[in-house]
Amino acid sequence: MSTVSTSTGAYYSRSLTQMNGLRTSLEDLQTQIATGQRIYRGSQDPAAAARLRTLNRVEVLGDIQQDNAAKLEQDLTFAAEQVGGVADILIRAKELALRGSTDTLGDTARDAIAEELEQLGEELFDRANGLTLTGEPLFAGTASGPAFVRDASGTVTYNGNDDVGAVPVAPGTEIERGVTGRQVFEFDVNGASTDTFAVFGALVDAYRTGGPGVAAAALAQIDGLDAALDTINRNQAVLGTRAAWVEVVQDNQAERDIATAQQRSQVGDTNIADAVARLQQTLTALEASQASFARVSSLTLFNAI
Amino acid sequence: MPSALINIGASGAAVARASLELTAQNIANASNPNYARRTLTQSELVGSATIGLNSADSLGGVRIGGVNRAGSELVQLQARNASSDLERTDALLTGIQNSEVALEQSRLFESLVDFEAALVRLESDPTDATLRTTTLESARQLANTFQLAERSLGDARGLMQSDLTAETTGLQNDLDELARINADIVAARDGSAGLASLLDARDQALRGISEELGVTVTFSPKGAAEVQLAGTPAEVLVSGSVASIFTSTFAADGTASFAINGTAVDPDSGGMAGRAQALEEQANLQTQLDAIAGQVITSANAAQASGVDFGGATGQPLFAGSQASDIALALTSGSQLVTAPAGSPAGSSDTTVLGNLITAIGDGTGPIQNTDTLLLGLSSRTAGVETRREGLTIVSQAAEAQLLQETGVNLDTEAADLVRLQQSFEANGRVIQVAVEVFDTILGLR
Repeated sequence: MSTVSTSTGAYYSRSLTQMNGLRTSLEDLQTQIATGQRIYRGSQDPAAAARLRTLNRVEVLGDIQQDNAAKLEQDLTFAAEQVGGVADILIRAKELALRGSTDTLGDTARDAIAEELEQLGEELFDRANGLTLTGEPLFAGTASGPAFVRDASGTVTYNGNDDVGAVPVAPGTEIERGVTGRQVFEFDVNGASTDTFAVFGALVDAYRTGGPGVAAAALAQIDGLDAALDTINRNQAVLGTRAAWVEVVQDNQAERDIATAQQRSQVGDTNIADAVARLQQTLTALEASQASFARVSSLTLFNAI
Repeated sequence: MPSALINIGASGAAVARASLELTAQNIANASNPNYARRTLTQSELVGSATIGLNSADSLGGVRIGGVNRAGSELVQLQARNASSDLERTDALLTGIQNSEVALEQSRLFESLVDFEAALVRLESDPTDATLRTTTLESARQLANTFQLAERSLGDARGLMQSDLTAETTGLQNDLDELARINADIVAARDGSAGLASLLDARDQALRGISEELGVTVTFSPKGAAEVQLAGTPAEVLVSGSVASIFTSTFAADGTASFAINGTAVDPDSGGMAGRAQALEEQANLQTQLDAIAGQVITSANAAQASGVDFGGATGQPLFAGSQASDIALALTSGSQLVTAPAGSPAGSSDTTVLGNLITAIGDGTGPIQNTDTLLLGLSSRTAGVETRREGLTIVSQAAEAQLLQETGVNLDTEAADLVRLQQSFEANGRVIQVAVEVFDTILGLR
């Protein structure tokens, strides 16, 4: 007689395997809910894990670039303030030059004008050597040390270089750090190259010298002052445009941050509602299989004999 | 005649008692995984004789045959092959899962990204001493992370190697054991309970062997096993009462090789094959990790050499060493970091060299991308092997269940047998009683 029967050992080992499988998936679900992370080992979902790594990198670099953008905005604002100050100085200097060009002024008045112009010149020099928050010169390009130096004879020369350098503020976007001293303070007058400090020096010298030629000498510098003011205004516009660009980049960064966080959450976060529902389902299945195991395994013929 | 009746009853009672004993034995071994269900073979005993012209049959009852052991070579073979494949995949999975954990938990990728981020931050203000120090510390952390990853990978490999060494000893024990069992099987009497229990032990040893090595087995008529390696070359592992010597050796890069009686072999399946494969994968990972470390060292040092530091001096190497095991920070101060190209004055905020280094670290063939590729490859491989193991587990469980069905003890059947045999014993006792009564009836005739 041949019979098909399940051996007792096979029944027990199969039941155990089934219940162990349910318990393992319960533990997985519980870990996912407790940590909020769907993936805690790369092999659970290799593609998603790689995506998470990339998003993580984008996020870290994005944070740094945001910091960089904030610092750049600060530097650009500082530079714009200094350039604005220089523009005020030049406007006042032009007023003084025009007033001094009338012949009716006495020597005392002219001396007073010369005095004020000298003070303005000092302020101009200070502003040209303005520093960033971290103590770097604003207008020296990538060179260190002061942007402009004054020798014993009072001649001011540019000490920096023509390279402004750029700051990465977004993937693939670098914004130039600022403007160089040469761009802000040097210009051509009637075909000859000169700078704001030379024009200022000539004006002060004219008033200090005095005499009948003062008016003409002062008037002669008006062109220079106009050219200096033009240059300044142009650079103010450049700095303003760049600051606006940084703001646009910052807005983009904020949006990208949100998008990255969203993607990250989609790829790597546990869907709590889904996980809890599946947990409940698995729990029910485990409880049911435990109960049925207990009942079926207590059914033995030995109870009957 | 009554004496024949007594003998018939006695033989029936003896068979019933012997069967009861075997049933008790079956029940006692119900939870013994290596036990195959026993039954008693029996045959009718009839004596025929012819004296002169009178022929006569003499009924002699029943004769106890031998202990029959339930078993099916085919199912055994399936179970052995399934467990060979499963063990191989299991061992491989353990090895690469450990490596995956080692490389992921060392946070190498994150460290590289942190280093890149520190460089990008430094680009915003290359003369800031604080940023320079932060960058230097991030480089130090990167070097430490490489060493941590290397050590964790080494630990995973050490674990796998000691596992392999221990299992080699276990396998040799199984081989020796099987050779001894073969010798005993030849000596054992056919149909004896001793032979059945030797066959149980033989199957147990074979299962142990095929968990470690895929084998092909042939049986002698009496049941002695001849075992050959399933692999190249198909060396003999056990023949009769002689067991071969199985040895394993490790190469300098940590990979393992096997030999049987000194002949190099390459097993097809089993735990040994899986471990050897895992060690190979780990050696491969080690090479890739070293290559990534080398790439970081080379690009950082090349950048350093191509420019001048904060003080205007030619840059010195950032990292010492050439691979993951010996990478170390070589600079002592943040001011030694090179950001500006050669020829720049001291304190220059030129970031050309820094920009080049950031590109070298972060571009499509740089160490960050390579680490990502390494991790992606490793986790995909792990996921693939995991899936394969799930499939093989099901196959192996099915084969195991099939084997248990063929050879295992079903307590319900045994309980029914118990009742049936008890009744049979009582019935035979009753036959003897009837014989006695018949005899007494004859004696009591007056």
